[in-house]
Amino acid sequence: MTASKQETTTEEREQIKQETGQILNGFSRKRPGLIPILQKVQGKLGYLPREAMTAIAEYLDIPAIDVYGVVTFYNQFRLNPPGRHSIKVCLGTVCHMKGGYITLDAWKRRLGISPRETTDDREFDLDTVACVGCCTMAPVTVVDDKPEGVVEPTRVDGILLAFGYERETKDKEKSESD
Amino acid sequence: MKVIKQTTAAAAFHEIKERAESHWRELWHDKPVIMVGTATCGRAAGAPDVLQAFRDEVKKRKLDCPVIEVGCMGHCYAEPIVIISKPGYPPICYGYVNPVIAERLVKEFILGDNPCPEFVIGALEANDLLPSFDDFPRAQHEQKIILKNCGHIDPTEIEHYIAGGGYNALAKTLGTKPEDIVEEVKRSGLRGRGGAGFPVGRKWQYCREAPGRTKYIICNADEGDPGAFMDRSILESDPHSVIEGMIIAGYAIGARYGYIYIRAEYPLAVERIQIALKQAKKLNLLGNHILGSSFNFDIILFHGSGAFVCGEATALAASIEGKPGTPRPKPPRMTAAGLFGKPTVVNNVKTLAFIPLIIRNGTEWFTGTGTKNSPGTAVFALAGKIVNTGLVEVPMGTTLRQIIFEVGSGIPKGKKFKAVQIGGPSGGCLPESALDLPVDFDSLQEVGAIMGSGGMVVLDEDDCMVEIARYFLEFTQRESCGKCTFCRLGTKQMLEVLNDFTMGKGAMEDIDSLERLAGEVKAGSLCGLGQTAPNPILTTLRYFRDEYEAHIELGKCPALMCQHLIAYYILPDKCERSCDACVGSCTVEAISPNKKRIKVIDQTQCVKCGTCLAACPPQYNAIVKLSPPSEVPAK
Amino acid sequence: MKTVSLTIDGKKITARPGEKLLRVALENSIYIPNLCAIRDKPEPSASCRLCFVEIEGGEEPVTACTIDVTEGMVVNTRGEKALALVRAGFELLMASHALDCAHCPANGNCELQKIARHLKASLKTKRLRLLLRELPIDDSNPLFTYDPNKCVLCGRCVWVCRQNIKSGVFGFAHRGFERVMTTFADEPIGADRCLDCSQCVEVCPTGALSFKEGKRPSTEDG
Repeated sequence: MTASKQETTTEEREQIKQETGQILNGFSRKRPGLIPILQKVQGKLGYLPREAMTAIAEYLDIPAIDVYGVVTFYNQFRLNPPGRHSIKVCLGTVCHMKGGYITLDAWKRRLGISPRETTDDREFDLDTVACVGCCTMAPVTVVDDKPEGVVEPTRVDGILLAFGYERETKDKEKSESD
Repeated sequence: MKVIKQTTAAAAFHEIKERAESHWRELWHDKPVIMVGTATCGRAAGAPDVLQAFRDEVKKRKLDCPVIEVGCMGHCYAEPIVIISKPGYPPICYGYVNPVIAERLVKEFILGDNPCPEFVIGALEANDLLPSFDDFPRAQHEQKIILKNCGHIDPTEIEHYIAGGGYNALAKTLGTKPEDIVEEVKRSGLRGRGGAGFPVGRKWQYCREAPGRTKYIICNADEGDPGAFMDRSILESDPHSVIEGMIIAGYAIGARYGYIYIRAEYPLAVERIQIALKQAKKLNLLGNHILGSSFNFDIILFHGSGAFVCGEATALAASIEGKPGTPRPKPPRMTAAGLFGKPTVVNNVKTLAFIPLIIRNGTEWFTGTGTKNSPGTAVFALAGKIVNTGLVEVPMGTTLRQIIFEVGSGIPKGKKFKAVQIGGPSGGCLPESALDLPVDFDSLQEVGAIMGSGGMVVLDEDDCMVEIARYFLEFTQRESCGKCTFCRLGTKQMLEVLNDFTMGKGAMEDIDSLERLAGEVKAGSLCGLGQTAPNPILTTLRYFRDEYEAHIELGKCPALMCQHLIAYYILPDKCERSCDACVGSCTVEAISPNKKRIKVIDQTQCVKCGTCLAACPPQYNAIVKLSPPSEVPAK
Repeated sequence: MKTVSLTIDGKKITARPGEKLLRVALENSIYIPNLCAIRDKPEPSASCRLCFVEIEGGEEPVTACTIDVTEGMVVNTRGEKALALVRAGFELLMASHALDCAHCPANGNCELQKIARHLKASLKTKRLRLLLRELPIDDSNPLFTYDPNKCVLCGRCVWVCRQNIKSGVFGFAHRGFERVMTTFADEPIGADRCLDCSQCVEVCPTGALSFKEGKRPSTEDG
């Protein structure tokens, strides 16, 4: 994981700064606020752009590298904008033993990306998660924060089909309302 | 002075309790109640749709029948689970419920008098009509103490908890001297349920007696062991038990603030704790002058951001302080210099859930269960190749065999038991020969495993022990904080060796050098994560060395699991010409019929996902796994 | 002032109570391998795991950097159990160190070479496999070069950087095997925040931070 290499426009940077600033105003300027701040900023922006990290460092009066160090330490934080849908394959012990790694292979094959990557059209994020505690439904894939049980390679196709279908119907509704 | 305080607290609580009890009675008064289990496991199985179906049906028919959400009863294998309590019947538990069944239950049981026995798992009370849970073999071993409320009360209603005796212990505590509470917990012999089993009372005493006015209590809810979900379930199903335990702990050690450090991957648990904290505050069970006493205490919810190492107390504290979760050397102990440098007690979710019960019922009650050195019960998350997956609570000292075969009903599909993995990445794999071991903190350590926080994953003949060791090393390697040399580099080295083994590479000497390195990482690492990371390797080497040897010497995975060492093969004489099930199922189009319409797998295309094997109709059963792959006959 | 007396490798030594064993040994010319110990830093990092010693009465070797000296303590820095651990730790480090002494600016003035001599160990490990990360070298700073492939993550540069600049340039990022000493967003060091004091280079025990040709200060205040 490296910092976002994507070019942001001046306008986007201004907006990031403004939104980060608004969130920062709700916190005191103390170091223990760092992780809750990062969580809130990521909750708003979807990721932690460079400008947000420097603004946070300045606000808390700590070295920017310390913010970067925390962001890159924890699994939750991301440096790139997320995809529209998040796919998280559970690799807890039970999911693994029941073929979670085979499911992960299937997702990788179908989406054409590796864990911690986003598809080119920014539709899907693929990631793994250590255990969501739904061991009885193994192997589990968390699709947009909803744990789906018994996701085997054929089910992977089914889930993707449902998204395709969903997109189509949305488009249809749109064209109908136009 | 003391006496006045006591009566205030007791009187204030009495009023709260009266109200809660009357509301509880009203809920059950002369009408049916439907309880739907909507903890995470239930939700994953479709509980939200079932809940909606019940609500729709009840509304449509204008019935006076509350539909409430409850937590997890522990029978996760049968989710979604629903309990229906109807006057004139024992409360009945239904499993595998779906919206169609929900509709029928309303129509036929709530409105009619057919309890639909075909969907029943068991009745909660003994009766003449239906089998009850007490009749099951598992009832003989199960003893629910901290799971008692789970699945039976609405976790978002504080009054349900209070009506069942909740917060009584807090009221009692506020009328007792803090040091007496510490003494009581010490006498109970309660040991920390987070894994290491350190005596809780002693920890509290160290902290209480440590100099300084500011102290902290932290509830460690960063349940990160893959394969463990006990804490999640308790937080989702009975959050107030943990909160009450924390308030009592705070009072006993002299803390003004407590933190709950909870995993971000548990959104529902977070939500339910948030609701619970708000409710407790509203009733003045939290906040300033709790129940009119001079005790002030607040709880701050801290969302962990995904780092297994933060289960280690010093790393957890660093995380709350806004730093990367890297552990520091001990001493100083957390109880001397913990969070923000202040004396701090870190207790596991289950540990804290025991506290109100011990205070309420007394130490004799508590020590009446379990073994001498490990009193009380143990909660396990049973998962893997076992019939009754779910949560179980048994007295310490119950044997592994009883837990797996009687409570868990053994291995499904007639397969053979191979090993049980206890304690997650820090624990070990125990073989058949260890099954008669009574489970407690000390006995497990003797055989190379640890109690851990309670994950118990059962493995059968299809599970490869080299692969499971590799899996855990991959996990610890990925989750190592990277601070100290042994863990950062040693786990990586060991993982590389194991990766090779699962691909059939390596030499027999590599087994010995792996064992040596494992010993060094265990002895040399800075914190518990690194010190226990080699356990999965050491135990599998101790009990299943032959499997390692087969991988290396023969290029063979005896369990037919390691993908590089197996091949899928369609037996020509068993394959049915007219059937194309496997062809359609293959996710990479690697199967095609030959001239005789016998299906053949293109081994260069095959990704070994096993979908075809599952798709091949049982009457043909034509697809097999072979190891080593060279066993596949040449064309 | 109150003192305690202890014995290290048979040598009688007096020290101030509360002092760390590693510090006391080094001040009395008894070498114990170490990389992450920093004299003025109050809390030991205890991360390099090279200062294992044996203390009489204790079962397992302990890190000298975390142990307070106590009255009557008997220490053996040459115990077999302790040295086996030190060697293992050293081998692990060397297996992930871009070894190229002949072309390394630190050659002859390198802590790793010193430790190898002390342990009578080879710099090249035989039983472990080489696990190198091949990270890009940063030579953006006018005075010095940073080669993360030679870094042992001791943290000395991070510490000294923060003593001089309130908002330090250096820090640790990422986790596990990926842990690295770096700058904000892995940006080149040469950019605006560094004061070019180059004290980080002075404290680096290996060739990870090294002066560019002709940039080594010749005088003390250089």
